[in-house]
This record gives sequence, C-alpha cells and structure tokens, in this order.
Amino acid sequence: MLADPFATLGAPYRFDLDLPAIEKVHRELSRALHPDRFAQAGASERRAALEKAATVNEAWRVVRDPVRRAEALLAIGGIAVGENREPQASPALLMDVLEHREALADARAKNDMVKIRALRSAFEARERSAEEKLTQGFALAFAATQSSPWRERREALEAILPALGELRFFKRLLGDVSAIEEEQA
Amino acid sequence: MTDLLEIFDPKAPPRAIGIDLGTTNSIVAYVKNEKPCAVVDCDGQALLPSVVFYGHQGNVVVGRNAALHAAESPRETIVSVKRFMGRGAGDPETKRLGPYAFAKPKPGDPNTIFFDVHGKSITPVEVSADILRTLKRLAEDELRSIGGAVITVPAYFDDAQRQATKDAGRLAGLDVLRLLNEPTAAALAYGLEKKQNGKFAVFDLGGGTFDVTILVLDDGVFQVRSTGGDSALGGDDMDRALAHEIFQLSGHDSDAASPSEVRVALDLARRVKHALTTATEVELENPFAKQPSSFVVTRARFNALIEPLLARAGTVCRCALKDAELGAAELDGVILVGGATRVPAVRAYVSKLFGKEPLSDIDPDQVVALGAAVHANLLAGQSTNDEVLLLDVIPLSVGIEVGCGVVDRILPRNTTIPTAARATYTTQQDNQTGFEIHVVQGERELAADCRSLAHFTLRGIPPMPAGIARLEVTFRIDADGLLGVHAREQSSGKEQAVSVKPSYGLDEQTIEQMLLDAIDHGEEDLMLRRLAEARIEAHRIVTSTRKSLASDADLLAAGEKERIESALVTLEKVAAEAQANDVRRLQLHIEDLDAATKDFAGRRMNRSIARAIEGKKLDAIEGAVKNSKGIEAAHAPPTNATKES
Repeated sequence: MLADPFATLGAPYRFDLDLPAIEKVHRELSRALHPDRFAQAGASERRAALEKAATVNEAWRVVRDPVRRAEALLAIGGIAVGENREPQASPALLMDVLEHREALADARAKNDMVKIRALRSAFEARERSAEEKLTQGFALAFAATQSSPWRERREALEAILPALGELRFFKRLLGDVSAIEEEQA
Repeated sequence: MTDLLEIFDPKAPPRAIGIDLGTTNSIVAYVKNEKPCAVVDCDGQALLPSVVFYGHQGNVVVGRNAALHAAESPRETIVSVKRFMGRGAGDPETKRLGPYAFAKPKPGDPNTIFFDVHGKSITPVEVSADILRTLKRLAEDELRSIGGAVITVPAYFDDAQRQATKDAGRLAGLDVLRLLNEPTAAALAYGLEKKQNGKFAVFDLGGGTFDVTILVLDDGVFQVRSTGGDSALGGDDMDRALAHEIFQLSGHDSDAASPSEVRVALDLARRVKHALTTATEVELENPFAKQPSSFVVTRARFNALIEPLLARAGTVCRCALKDAELGAAELDGVILVGGATRVPAVRAYVSKLFGKEPLSDIDPDQVVALGAAVHANLLAGQSTNDEVLLLDVIPLSVGIEVGCGVVDRILPRNTTIPTAARATYTTQQDNQTGFEIHVVQGERELAADCRSLAHFTLRGIPPMPAGIARLEVTFRIDADGLLGVHAREQSSGKEQAVSVKPSYGLDEQTIEQMLLDAIDHGEEDLMLRRLAEARIEAHRIVTSTRKSLASDADLLAAGEKERIESALVTLEKVAAEAQANDVRRLQLHIEDLDAATKDFAGRRMNRSIARAIEGKKLDAIEGAVKNSKGIEAAHAPPTNATKES
C-alpha cells in the first residue's frame, strides 16, 4: 500500500461502503489528476499529478475489492496481513472447504450442472455471511478506538481474522465454480 | 509575451496528430474544425501500407510503392513489421511462414530481432520508424508544422512492445505525447460521435493483433473495465492459413517454397480473402504450375480454415466479460474495428457471441486513427471538450519472480493506470549485499511461462544477517502503460542503485546511435532537433507557469512569486536566443524554473484534490451510513491519515 486508501478517497474506516458513491469520488479525482490533464504542464507538475493519480487508482483498487479492503483496514489497525502471516484456519473450516471441494470435483466429473449451480448458491451464501461478519467486526473495532485503549482494538481486529480467511476460501471456491462453468460452456 | 513557437512557423500553430501504426496499414489523422479527419496522400489515399523496402543503394521506400517490390525482393521488403516489435531473437514469431532472413545477434547486442537486409542488420524499431517518418512528412505537407503525436498500440501489447513503439516514435523525430490503446481510441471516436452513455465491447481484429476491450462510457469518462487479446492473431493468420491451402491445392510443398513463392502465396491469399467478402467462391489460376490450371476456393472452406482463429478470439472475449463482471446481455453495443472484421464469418461470429448486431458505421480501417487524433488534440490542450477522460488499464499482470521460479503478482491485469504498488523483500543469506529482481508480465504461475520484462540489481546493501534487510520495491506504470521500477533498502534508509536491464528491446545508447545514423548530417542536425525539442518544452512550462501564477496567486509564499518570475523571464530570454550548442544551457534553465515551481505545484495539486473531493466526500459518508444496517455512524479518517504503510 502506498497511502491510506480510505483517506485518499475520503471514505470512512468501515467494511460496508457505498461503492457507487466512492466510485464517483474516484472519477472526480481522476478528472482532476489524470496525467492527460497535465500534458501541457511543466515537469514537476506532471510528476506530481502522475504520482497522485497512481495513488488514487491504487486506493480505488484496494477499496472496491472486499478481501483487499479488509486487509487494508487491518493494516491501518496495525495488524500484519497476508495469508502467510495470519493464523491458520480452524480445523472445522478446513474440513468444510475440503468437503465442498470434493463435492465440486464430483459434480464436475459427472457434468452435473444442477449440482454445480446449487454449490454456487451455497458458496455465495457463505461469502455473504463472511462479509457480514467483517462488517460487524470492523464496526466494533473502529468504534472501540473512540473510547477504549489501543489493546482492545487490537483484540477486536484479531477476532476478525477468521472471517477474512473464510471470505478468501469461499471466493476461491467461487472462482473454481466459474472456471468449471466456462469449461462446460 | 512573444510566442516562442512563432520562431518556427509564423503562420500555423503546430497541430497534434494521431497515428495508427498498424500491422497492414498505417494512418495519420488530426482534428480539423473540431472533427477528426485522416490525412490523404497525393493519390487521395488515407491508408499507407505498412511496408518498407530497403534498396541496394540505401534508398528506403515506404507504402504502396514498397509493396510492389515484395514479390521480387521478399527479404528486402519488410511487411507486417508490427508482429516483430519488442520480440527477442529466438521468438517463435520468427519461425512462422514468412520470407525473411534473420541475422544472428552478436554477443552484447540488444535482445531484439534483426532482419538481415543486404547483409545489414535492421531492427523492427527502425523499420517502424521509417513508416512513422513517412506519416510525419505526410502530415507536415498538410499542416506545415506538427506538435506532439499520439501513437496507438494494441491494448494487449506488453511492456516491451510498447517501449519498442515509443522508441520508434522518438527515432522518427516525433514528440510522443502518449501511447493509446487501439480499442480505446476507437471507442473515443464512436463515443464522441454518438454521445451515448453505456457499456460497450470493442472487438478489434487487425492485420496481426486481436484485442477486445469492455468499457463504460459515462458523461465523457471512458472507463475501461477489462481488456484481453492475443498479440499474434489477426488477418495475417487468415492469409497464412489460406496460403497453406493454396500450396496444397496447387500441389506445391510449402516447406520447399522459395521466399518469393511464399510471398506470392501470401499475397494471393490476401486477395482471395478480400474477394470472399462479397463472393461465395473464387477461381484461381495455379501460380506454381507450369501448365495453366486452376482451382476454386469457396467461402465455406475459408470459414472452416479460420474457425480455430475465431474460437481463440471467442475465449478471449468471454474472459474479458468475466473480468468486467458483465454478461453479454448487459452490453449496450459492440464496436467493430480493424480490416479483418470485414470478413463475413467474423461479423457472424461476433453477433452470435454478444447476441447483438455489431456497429461498424465508422470505417473500421480509420476509426483508430480518428480516435487517436481526438486524444492528441485533447492532450495538446487544443480541444474545447474538457469533460473527456480516458481511464485505461494494464492488459497483463505484473509480478516478480520469487523462490522456486514462482511469480508474486504485484499488479493484477485490468488495474487502472497510472498505478503504483509497493512490495517488500528480504535477503536470503548472511551479509548479502546485492539483490537481483526479475520482473515478469503474464498470468501464469511460473515466471518461465510469463514474459520477462527486466532484471534489475540492487547493490550496496549493508552487510547484515539474512532476513534483516528490507528491500522496498516500488513499481509504477504510467499512462502509456510503461513500467518503471524504484528500490530502497529500508533499514539503512538509503535509496539503492538500481540498474534495470530490459529483457527485450534497445538500450538508451543504441537508440542514441540510431538517432545519429538516421539523420543526414548527423551530429549537427541532431543538436538542432534537440534544440527544437527543448524550446517546445520551454514554451510548455512557461505557458503553464504563467497560467498557474494567474489562477492560484493566493497559494504563493512570500518571495516565491519573485523567484518564479525571475526564473521564468530568464528562461524565455535563453530560449529565444539559444543556438544549436546551447541546448544544455536551455535545459538547465528549464530545470531551474521547474525547481522554483516545485512546492507551488504541490500546493496546486492539493487544491485540485480538495476541490474534486468536496461535496463528493459527504455523499460517500452519508451513503455509507444509509447502508450501514443500524451500525453506528461512520468515522471519517483523520485528515493526516495519509501515510506510507
């Protein structure tokens, strides 16, 4: 991350954002800062605009993607993120994902499109539930900073990590479903 | 104020031009009375065949007259040079059906393809520069003096191919304002014509490259959602498939064919392809038989031959839609670009794929150049339409090779440009003082399967145990889609020396030498050209500084205005008086003014941001609160929260 993407786009620190409204902010900032606007400017202004425009685009890329957005909020709260630095997923979740994966492979082998569609909706439901957990978790963690000490926020943020792991797993499964659907098409 | 540019041409102001540097044909266009139009040659033709013939006496012929030499001098007549841009010596493209001889690179040569022409090595960049020079002259005949140029490239071009194109522009003496993606250029031409908002797909099948771009047009903003393509798929491949068929039907072995015979078969194939656009079958005289004989090629057979090519394009389109998170039914229109979309089977395939009749009311051969002209006009500040903005993307992910040859993806494909990303790496051995980083572009997991962009080496890391040094590497991609890399060792806080070695293409030294060689009177002319370039830059910075001084005077600190004014007046004087050998002096004064305005520029930028975000920010927060399903009110981040993390 180059800069705080939420601050760059004037967005609040929360997981559930009004993305269309933020997209408009991104667009207005792009209008003001895009290098095309500075093609006739001097070198220092061109450089400054290029840098700002890059930061704005990077911020929008992070904020619009649920996984990156969650990672950015955690980083802002001082928690190291990235799959290898986070705690291992719970055995229950791993079991769960393993079973889903097998069911998907099975349906693919049998060319069972009905089953594949059913799995898609099941995964989408789990994705939504993980996002719901993240919404509430981050609201709690960032509300805590107002009144309570730093340690409390850290704990609140650490408690969110399993939901982020879950979101990643189900996004990946949904990616697999799409790949299978494309291959059948 | 005296206009610096009046020195060059007292009558017409320089005009910005747009160039479509195509595989088969190239076009130059400009905006006349707010409408883009193509420049035509003395025969009234807008299309310049992208063919260059190198004669024995060192004469260079470009265009239709060069094409006349193709059959007789197939090795000296370079056709479809675009397919070789940014490619390495051993690239598979050199092994396909074609008449050329390739020179073996000598050790120390830059990694590029060399055509062997009369025993002389010529790079694709030089061939392209010869085409660009011809277009430049064509434009100068009509406009007297030309300003900067926008050159289009296939959206799917990688970093090396883009860099090669930009180098060709420089070599041709053009001030390259921007590299613009061809589908985006086409959308710009259509969007402005139709003034219609919506979601569009641009299906661009040219002579040698295929691109598909999905974009959203909303009140002048052209936002590319996704792009995909194949930089080795186009009308040429149809010709090649047909040429193989012609060899077969004429009982001639294509492997044993001479370069001239290959050229004859390819040209015949192209004519057959064109004829089959209206005819359902074509009868041909056997070009290789001793006795007169003939055979027939039907449209049905041609369709069957190109079916695999269309299937490849289809897969790319489906992937682009998925990346854009759109279904074909959600599209408001499909735009056809490129000469190869005249093939009826291509049109039929596109209608079926997207479920709607494609638009082709702007000439598919010209639409890209017209869009480029519009963009050039915008960049030159000569347009009245300042609502228009292009937000384009990178076509391929950029990553770094990490342990075991696996790619660590830094910037995913379809990231809006310009963009930047930062990654931190560490040393693997105690007291390691250098670090090598390999940058690649592509979607595959292993670096060996991606395209190598550059190797760069960091030196001078202080000796410390393994894993302690923290190397922070910043990747920047500018609005041309070109990559820049910058590295810093964090624990010592020092900027480290980075030497970037591009995996393909020409280095700075080679280009300098080529520039010298390309100009008739060598050094002296080069200095004059440098002087002209420095004067344009001086004019640019003087004009823009005066404008900012007038509009944002309240942002000036005490004494700052005087410092800027003094640098400005000196620069104007130096620019007006400068002779060929004063280029360096002029550049130093440009740098002085640049330095004097640096802080002021920063303040102006912050003001722009504040103005852009004003109002919108409140909307965003209110929106978020409205959507918050009962969770407590949002917190705006502290204003000083912008930090490096």
